[in-house]
Amino acid sequence: MRIPINWLEEHVKLPGKLSELTNRLTYAGHMLDKIDKVNENTVIDLELRGNRADCYSIMGIAKEVSALFKTPLKNVDLLKIKSAQKIKDINITVKSRYLQRVMSVKITDAKIGKSPGWLKDRLMEYGITSINNIVDLTNYVMVETGQPMHAFDFDKVGSDLEIRTAEKNEKIVTFLGDEIVLDKDDLVWANKGSILSVAGAIGGKNHSISDDTKNVLLEAASYDQANIRRTVHRHNLLTDAGLRHEKDLDPNLVELGFCRFLYLLDKNGWGDIAESALDFYPKPIHPWKVSLNYDYLKSFSGVDINKENLKADLKWLNFITQEETAEKIDVLCPTYRTDVKLEEDLIEEIIRLYGYEKIPASVLSLETPENITPDYVNQEIELKNHMIHMGYDEVISSPFVIPDYQKLNFSLSEKASPVTIINRPSPEIEEMRMTLIPSLLGFVKKIINERGEEARIFEIGKIYFQKNDKYIEKRVLGISYWKKSKKGFRKFKGYLDSLIKLMRLADIKFKAIKIPQIYNSYNLILNNEIVGVGGQIDDIYFAEIYLDALLGKSEKQKVNLWQKYPPQIEDLTIKIPKQVEIGKVIQSIKSANKMISKVTFTDRYKDNYTFRIYYQHSDKTLGDKEVEEIRKVIVSAVKKQ
Amino acid sequence: MNIKNQSIARITEIGSQTELSELKVEFLGRKGKINKLIKDIKRLSDEDKKEAGRAINDTKAAIEQAIQSKIEELETHKLLHVKWFDPTVPGIPYKIGHLHPTTIVVNEMFDIFKHLGFSIIEGPEIESDLYNFEKLNLPKDHPARSLQDALYVEDPEVVLRTHTSSVEVRALSTIKPPFRLVVAGKCYRYEKVNASNNAIFYQFQGFSLQSGLSMADLKGTLFYFAKSFFGEKREFRFRCKYYPEVEPGAGLDINCAFCNKKGCQVCKGRGWIEMLGSGMIHPNILQGMGYDPKKISGFAFGMGLDRIVMDRFGIKDIRSLYNGDIQYDL
Repeated sequence: MRIPINWLEEHVKLPGKLSELTNRLTYAGHMLDKIDKVNENTVIDLELRGNRADCYSIMGIAKEVSALFKTPLKNVDLLKIKSAQKIKDINITVKSRYLQRVMSVKITDAKIGKSPGWLKDRLMEYGITSINNIVDLTNYVMVETGQPMHAFDFDKVGSDLEIRTAEKNEKIVTFLGDEIVLDKDDLVWANKGSILSVAGAIGGKNHSISDDTKNVLLEAASYDQANIRRTVHRHNLLTDAGLRHEKDLDPNLVELGFCRFLYLLDKNGWGDIAESALDFYPKPIHPWKVSLNYDYLKSFSGVDINKENLKADLKWLNFITQEETAEKIDVLCPTYRTDVKLEEDLIEEIIRLYGYEKIPASVLSLETPENITPDYVNQEIELKNHMIHMGYDEVISSPFVIPDYQKLNFSLSEKASPVTIINRPSPEIEEMRMTLIPSLLGFVKKIINERGEEARIFEIGKIYFQKNDKYIEKRVLGISYWKKSKKGFRKFKGYLDSLIKLMRLADIKFKAIKIPQIYNSYNLILNNEIVGVGGQIDDIYFAEIYLDALLGKSEKQKVNLWQKYPPQIEDLTIKIPKQVEIGKVIQSIKSANKMISKVTFTDRYKDNYTFRIYYQHSDKTLGDKEVEEIRKVIVSAVKKQ
Repeated sequence: MNIKNQSIARITEIGSQTELSELKVEFLGRKGKINKLIKDIKRLSDEDKKEAGRAINDTKAAIEQAIQSKIEELETHKLLHVKWFDPTVPGIPYKIGHLHPTTIVVNEMFDIFKHLGFSIIEGPEIESDLYNFEKLNLPKDHPARSLQDALYVEDPEVVLRTHTSSVEVRALSTIKPPFRLVVAGKCYRYEKVNASNNAIFYQFQGFSLQSGLSMADLKGTLFYFAKSFFGEKREFRFRCKYYPEVEPGAGLDINCAFCNKKGCQVCKGRGWIEMLGSGMIHPNILQGMGYDPKKISGFAFGMGLDRIVMDRFGIKDIRSLYNGDIQYDL
């Protein structure tokens, strides 16, 4: 809210230093956004508070200043007018419960013209363009009191007005020249033939004040906040009026704004005001009671505030003490404080006047609750450490699939459809990933394009599905590897093996599978359950591991000591026919004899595979003959395959 | 005697194996100086022979010993000095893995809050309107809803969470108090993407539910965190601020490190940078979960992480965080 300082000063005495004013306002909930100068006058811009519709005005902020600095408000001149059920020459019919209150009056013999300097300047300082004196005055009073109002050309609106909800597809051209196609929930002012204004938001072009206007119909109203908010956002009508009406405005403010307008109009001699004004206010709002318990205030706020001081503060804020005991106080809230409904709201009032800066920053002294961090959180933290130990860099990608990679966005583990966004702010925010592969692939390609020699990246994140009307989020680890001019599956597999070791998973099996668009794909299987998938696109290797499937599957950490007797080591070359899985061969060698402590694959020439075999006995060093016996068993075991 | 001294002196000065071999031949070789002396002995008297023989043997032994120690010396010398060694040669690179900047910051924050007895949790990103808004004291048509326009998966009931407060709601409805929890994760908003706004962003949130919690506890917790994370030298401002999820509400600002509160471009002339929103959990929320707000109270706080990460690592464009632009190996 832009507050020209000289305008504010008309309503309340200000402290000598501007920073004293803005600091106090900031701590009390009206943060200073910026300060600038217009027409040599200082304007402070305060952050708008969504729950303080009353503070979208000079007088609202003046009330705050008055309470914060304990200095009385200055008098505001109003022109009181007799209220009536009806206005002469015109019928206003209210056909919607969205209207809470409306005041309206006829102004005859209006003197329309350019606004005088003081009016123009004030509006310029606030940030509204001058149009003519009458329109400008409605805006002036809105900024000053917070009550929006509207002036029609009386002779153009006809004799029968309605405040009703629109029919679907009814249209209005605003005074700015924009056409709005209305919805059936939109509240409007209308006559028999056309829509005059969108209630609380914007006036129409054809019925607004012009240089030829002779008579004016002024209206100020209060509407259902939610309804106005829907309209304002539906049609993007966040005008100065709309901005105020979409908050909880006090219907009693209507009268203040209305009477302030009439006073200023009259004082400037810009028209003759009718003797009485319509005031339709079926359910008047009265101050409501809120109780404050002193003990609760103390325990909840953490400060012990002197009772007399807090009562004085509440009085400065225009809360009226209704009843008082040693334990509690009942106060009546001024109706413009639509934000104060509960005891806690009142506590905020008390501590913000006391000063947030004076609340002690106490160390949490209550009993420490037990640690309830779930295992999956620790699993992810641990996994990230494992991956960086292996030289992998962590990436985080957007969960939305880049359009280029959309064809790779399919579920690798189950039949499911993607989660899509229906209100896309831009084309790339549409489909959510069902696998991390597209984004990892994109990131690796970036490294390749940047002339990297090698890429090792990983991401821990979620993948998203829709399945049987349910939304599923699955935690996964995605790993990707690429090395310039090297076919690297064995290298990549080595990383996977090490990861499996680091995760202390017993026996993960790799099983070849077929996935269209992905070469050399395989599943990772633990105890007959698929726990991951891997494959290759171009020469980039990747795997995706399902973290929930691995939760609680880690074995206990253990250590081995060196055996007392060293192993006999020999290289054994075996011819293995095509299409035999080498993993199975190694498995059969290992299980051929319990004295084979370790088997590694060292080399390959055509169909000849060389394995390094470690023969070891726990109680003695094995002799050549013993080794030879075992070797024979190995050869026959391999042949059986 | 001369030979002894002469040879030992020369041996001492020798710097290479070759020279030593030559010297060995010169003195101890078949036609060497010692052998020549032995031949000369023949011409001496028996008495003198005895004495000269002993002297020659002594000399020979001394030379042999000197040569032996020279050999050893040369061996050691060879190991230490003879071969050219350059310690400035670059090592063979060992690839180190790096955590993402956001993870680094999150881990640091987790560590600080662990000291204060907080546990860590997470929650779903695809959320119902109920958990993302309704139960957070944000009914439909609430003025604060436009601040966080959601990405909708299904209109109007299924959204991508707009804040981690949805996790707070889930915790409040399922976990038995007392508890202190922090959560860090992805959130989403209807936002046109540019250098300073992204449709996806990270939020860090904390909350506690425990009988006797007060605003002073909230302020103490936030100051402990802020000082631990940003350093003792920074200043913090705890002020009244409105958030529909809390009552009373508070904002925590940090002094601008660039201008020291004088006001500059970074802080938009304010001298302070808004860091975090907080407050006491709104009584409507507690009541909605079946708690009596007069008997148990809670506090909550939340902050955007991306800005903090960008400041820490000098990243200017928010999109760089999540599009693979970060180059780790400098």
